[in-house]
Amino acid sequence: MTHTTPAPALKMGLPITNSKLGMWLFLGTEIMFFSAFIGTYIVLRMGSPGWPTDVHVTHIQIFWGGLNTFVLILSSYFVVVSHDALLCKQYRKAWNFMLATLLLGFLFLGIKGIEYTGKFAYDILPGHIPESDGQAMDKVVRQFSGIVDGRYAAMYPRLTKREDQKSENDAVIAKLKDKADVTVVEKTELAAAEAMSQLHSEHISLKEHVRANLSLSVPYASFDAIRKEENAPSKYATLTLPEVEKKVHELNESKTLGPLMGGLHVSQPILYGNLFASNYFLMTGFHAIHVIVGLIMFALVLKKGSRLCVDDAYLIENIGLYWHFVDLVWIFLFPLIYII
Amino acid sequence: MSDHAVAHTADSGHDHEEHHSHGQTYFMVFCALCVFTVMSIGADFLQMSNKNVLRAIILAVATSKALCVMMYFMHLKFEKAWKYLLLAPTFILAATIPLSLIPDIGTHYYTVDVPQRYEYEAQEAAKKSGQVPVKAEHH
Repeated sequence: MTHTTPAPALKMGLPITNSKLGMWLFLGTEIMFFSAFIGTYIVLRMGSPGWPTDVHVTHIQIFWGGLNTFVLILSSYFVVVSHDALLCKQYRKAWNFMLATLLLGFLFLGIKGIEYTGKFAYDILPGHIPESDGQAMDKVVRQFSGIVDGRYAAMYPRLTKREDQKSENDAVIAKLKDKADVTVVEKTELAAAEAMSQLHSEHISLKEHVRANLSLSVPYASFDAIRKEENAPSKYATLTLPEVEKKVHELNESKTLGPLMGGLHVSQPILYGNLFASNYFLMTGFHAIHVIVGLIMFALVLKKGSRLCVDDAYLIENIGLYWHFVDLVWIFLFPLIYII
Repeated sequence: MSDHAVAHTADSGHDHEEHHSHGQTYFMVFCALCVFTVMSIGADFLQMSNKNVLRAIILAVATSKALCVMMYFMHLKFEKAWKYLLLAPTFILAATIPLSLIPDIGTHYYTVDVPQRYEYEAQEAAKKSGQVPVKAEHH
């Protein structure tokens, strides 16, 4: 605990404090970290003709991105003002600007959250996006299957296998149909079981049409006969995505099945959509993690309250360096993701 | 605590007794950053036929913003030559991954055999012949 030994430090190779050197070395590694992501994004994009740029497809909204850019720039400005005020011994002002920075950081994350919610709502997630008509049809069949499972599970919670649930459902229909004097409750139960049975057969029909790649105009009931024909596939029309869309639309509009469909819709194929989503979430996700770390550091400084003094200027300068770097990354992410 | 004493002598930027506020400079830089941001958003609204010109403008604006932040907010303009010593190797190494990926993914003599290419080519062909496939709005 002595203040009288400045001599050894003069042997330091660089005319800066150890902490600042440490922060700059760390930022050096961070530059490499983010330029790997940004660089690979640029290279992948260059090598992928047809990369999705239409905002109706990617749901990238320049307004939110632009607003977040402004929020981060403002917060960066507040950090330097806070540091400046601290050096001028205006501690209250320094604390206030640090608090404003913290709040702006939260605002940034909130806006990011709105954007992410949109991506989740439209299922713009890596591995979830169909890139061709065939994949879009496969996806809707899989989603339909999930809906059928959900409905069955709600009706027959004790049974786990779909075959068991189906036979139970068939048994209910058979039992109530033959019953002479059905009560109101039983009538509703019968209607529900029949609707469920119809939903199941619609799912099977769509699944088999997609699997066989046969147009919906070819009835599912004739599939067995078709399979036995020679050169069968070339005789019949193949399935198209608009056909599937029409079918799903009809099912949604249907009085009996509509309420059971759970708003199923056909995702439009997006060329390179998965690569786009992976890049988007990787870059903005790691950036958001850095924002959170910055906020923790600001909170720790703010906790000092009135104990904030001029000696903290080193700490705030280093945190500021980190925060400016986070801003710097966003300065490149914004045009690369939102504009170009 | 000895570190602090050291720091006081080592870093002239933190000479607490004689600190003059740089508030005005910082505010000017902030304004410049805002103007640059508006410029890059504005460029998006320009219906430029040549996308490469747009990209060049936007990246130039982003680089200018980055330089503003690094020079003034991160004080690099006022730092001694150590900044080159520390940052030059970093930038060289940072450029390595993108540069090493370019020959394989960005530019190549061979045609990439991926399903997406056929979709893209079909779309482009449809556009050329005037039969733009009607795609429903993505929900």
